[in-house]
Amino acid sequence: MNRLRSCTRYNHGNPHMLGRTRSGLRLGWLTLPSSLSLPLSLLVMVFLPSSLLGSNLADSARQLAHQIAAASGPGTFALDVSNRSSLDDKSVREVRSALEAQLQADGVHNAKAEQATGSVNVVLSESLREYVWTAAIVIGSDETKVALLSLPRALAGTPLAVASPIVIKTTLLFAQEKTILDAAVVDMPGGARLIVLGDEAVAVYRQGAANSMGRWELETSLSVTRARPFPRDLRGRLFLRRDHLFDVFLPGTFCRSGGAAALSMSLSITCSASDDPWPLTVEEGGVRGFYASSRNFFTGVLSPGIGKITTIPSFYSATTLPRSGYTLWAVAAVDGSLHMVDGFTDQVVRGTRWGSDLASVRSNCGVGTQVLATESGEDERDGLRAYEVADRDPAAVSAAVEFDGQITALWPDGSGNFAMAIVRRRDTGWYEAHRISISCGN
Amino acid sequence: MKRIVYRFLAAISFLAMIETTVIANAETRPHYGGTLRVMMQSSPEGLQIPAAATVSDYWDDARTLSQIGDTLVKLDALGHPQPLLATTWLSDPTARHWQFTLRRGVKFHDGSVASATAVAQILGAKHPAWNVHASPDTLLIDLLSETAMPSLLAELALPRNLILKQNDNGTPIGTGTFVVAEWQPGKRLKLVANEESWQGRPYVDVVEIEFGKSLREQAIGLELDKSDIIESAAQASGSQRRNVSASLSVELMALVFVGNSKTQDPRLRQALALAIDRKPIQSVLLKGAGEPAATILPNWMTGYAAAFAEPSNPQRARAVLAESRQPALNLSYDPRDPQAQLIAERIALNAREVGITVQVSLAGAEDIRLMRVALPSPDPVTSLGEAARQLGLSQPASQSGFSATRVNNLRVNTLEDLYQTERGLLDGYGVIPLFHLPVASATGARVRGWQPDLFGQWSEPGHSLADVWLGDSQVERLPGAAVR
Repeated sequence: MNRLRSCTRYNHGNPHMLGRTRSGLRLGWLTLPSSLSLPLSLLVMVFLPSSLLGSNLADSARQLAHQIAAASGPGTFALDVSNRSSLDDKSVREVRSALEAQLQADGVHNAKAEQATGSVNVVLSESLREYVWTAAIVIGSDETKVALLSLPRALAGTPLAVASPIVIKTTLLFAQEKTILDAAVVDMPGGARLIVLGDEAVAVYRQGAANSMGRWELETSLSVTRARPFPRDLRGRLFLRRDHLFDVFLPGTFCRSGGAAALSMSLSITCSASDDPWPLTVEEGGVRGFYASSRNFFTGVLSPGIGKITTIPSFYSATTLPRSGYTLWAVAAVDGSLHMVDGFTDQVVRGTRWGSDLASVRSNCGVGTQVLATESGEDERDGLRAYEVADRDPAAVSAAVEFDGQITALWPDGSGNFAMAIVRRRDTGWYEAHRISISCGN
Repeated sequence: MKRIVYRFLAAISFLAMIETTVIANAETRPHYGGTLRVMMQSSPEGLQIPAAATVSDYWDDARTLSQIGDTLVKLDALGHPQPLLATTWLSDPTARHWQFTLRRGVKFHDGSVASATAVAQILGAKHPAWNVHASPDTLLIDLLSETAMPSLLAELALPRNLILKQNDNGTPIGTGTFVVAEWQPGKRLKLVANEESWQGRPYVDVVEIEFGKSLREQAIGLELDKSDIIESAAQASGSQRRNVSASLSVELMALVFVGNSKTQDPRLRQALALAIDRKPIQSVLLKGAGEPAATILPNWMTGYAAAFAEPSNPQRARAVLAESRQPALNLSYDPRDPQAQLIAERIALNAREVGITVQVSLAGAEDIRLMRVALPSPDPVTSLGEAARQLGLSQPASQSGFSATRVNNLRVNTLEDLYQTERGLLDGYGVIPLFHLPVASATGARVRGWQPDLFGQWSEPGHSLADVWLGDSQVERLPGAAVR
């Protein structure tokens, strides 16, 4: 195998190619090792400032102008620029302006067709991968030359805004192409850390320096080992702990971080096959539910139970609503029904069908605790809405906040003041971790 | 007063918004269980992909077999290779020697381990020109020819390279999410969920595929709730029903001049290319589906289709012919393609208008063939090679002088390389591209989670039959739920 030592292609972790030729087309499958590629792709793809895209467009337009001038030679040409891509009008104007200016500088003058010796037809097009600009240069009556240029496409932003009496606030914390199952922010010496649970690893990010625009920079990534395949619609939970940094619950698998809460580069996790019940509350010693290791739901068996109730229908999620003297549980069952469980009775709520993910959030509004429930669960757009539950009857208290994709997970965070919503974007397929809170509108 | 009215209207609209949500049915996470019923056009006698499959047979075979087996790698929507059975890979700088690390713990449906040795045996049998061997836990592929193959990963992602064994009855045994339970050649295939699938057990318990159903029979089957997923004729994006979804353009319809055609005069071929008015054919006969094409590869793969655009120009066509005397040409088509005859007749009409005699006929020696070919990979080099092979450009008599093998082995590193290669294939008008077409499918009311992938293959993770679940399936009760 000596001949493979000088390898040029390598795939691991993040196999997206990064190598490009001058013209922007990929050079086969050149990749970077995962330790390098993850943070780099994150910086480029998530935090790409719009101004960067703008300057890229103008630079590329000037580059295309050079190619056109080289093909046409100096002269008078009728220039036509048409846009068949997703570039907006402003960008197209910018491209056209830069193109005209550079052509002029290169001796290619723009004129009306009847006064020109030839024509230059520029089409701003795109493939799935990149913007592709073509220029057909017609000199005289027959001779046609073609110039090509390509440049990478950028990602669109995700504006989210809601206005209503109780307002759901969303803060995009993090996005990546790989699966996100849960995430948590923890304040620690040396700055806040973001812990991201994926299907293959737990990654710990540190808040970057001020000049890095607050980016999360990868500090360490800990592989999750599993004894058996994970099910489809994989779900997992991350719990911050006092005596160690975190616990991870995955179907049929339990992982515990090693060492004390103080993070160091030597942080490790130990994973083992486990069918132990998952905590349903952030407090240790609270209600736990057995999770079906080859499915996507809790079996309904609780240990310890909710008061005297230790078996409820199979469910996707359950959340607490504090009451005077007891805790009421809202349970989203697998059959689509909503149950209210108070320790003595399990009551099915009629006429209300929520999505399958619930999380309670404390706020200064209304009764002080609202339940966030997912809405449609459809693939294109998904939403969250806040409810208050008087007695056993839920009532919506906010407008829905919509996401450009499916909410794949919704979990309460350790403080009880936030929830973490994981969204898989429809357009890019990337996963986003949103921190959700509730504030009082006016 | 005005302020009070505004507040009242705002309150009403907010309450209405809330009410709508409470009434609206919410969905839940995916359910497990049930039988998914699928209909397909083809009537395969064997569970394999024949080298000379028609385009509709190709899609059906690829879709079926992709549920049973896995490839080493797959290409994502941007054409980037992603791990499947292989988790990592390396090649030497010449791209002739490749090394793959296989995913651990994966088993075939018969319980045997999908080891490097087993995979090497399967791949080696498919590719005599490769030396495929195991050493000991890694899979090695050495190309026996001196020509590099930078597109090897895209080739390995094609359905023809699914890692499938066969049992004594010829039934495929793979590592995929479904296991063959019952096979009636040409009629029916029953697949059951692979409980030990390394990608996670599918949501449905069973998939039943009925073969040999025309598009009309499939539509009736869906209407009468006898099927859950059917193939459908693609229509204009604006007119699609909600339950119909189309891929990107993954087929090319083109005219191909056969090797012994009477049309050796390139002027005649160019004149025919200029005579065909594609837009009316697309809007009427194809019902707005797809897009007129002047290239082999669609614009979504390359972005440069505009550089090939050559609009219909009968006047120029007549000028190109320059009143030369041209022979009458026989145009053949695939009689199983319901749209082909009408399109062929329309092309003949366009040709006659510029003075070219074209007879649409399935009898006698053909000069021109109306063909549909699959563009099976998001990798443009691989799709160009596959299209060239299906179009017969790999024949030595090819007018273009290019071959599929040559295309696949070209070091197409830049967009300019690709452009020049495709330009070379189209120079001489041996092939006249007509339309790029999507493939479409429709789903019944109880189907959830169905997202046909962009490439029409039903195989991408997140877009396969394993990701479908049934809205009316009974809520599954796990045995463990009662005893824990």
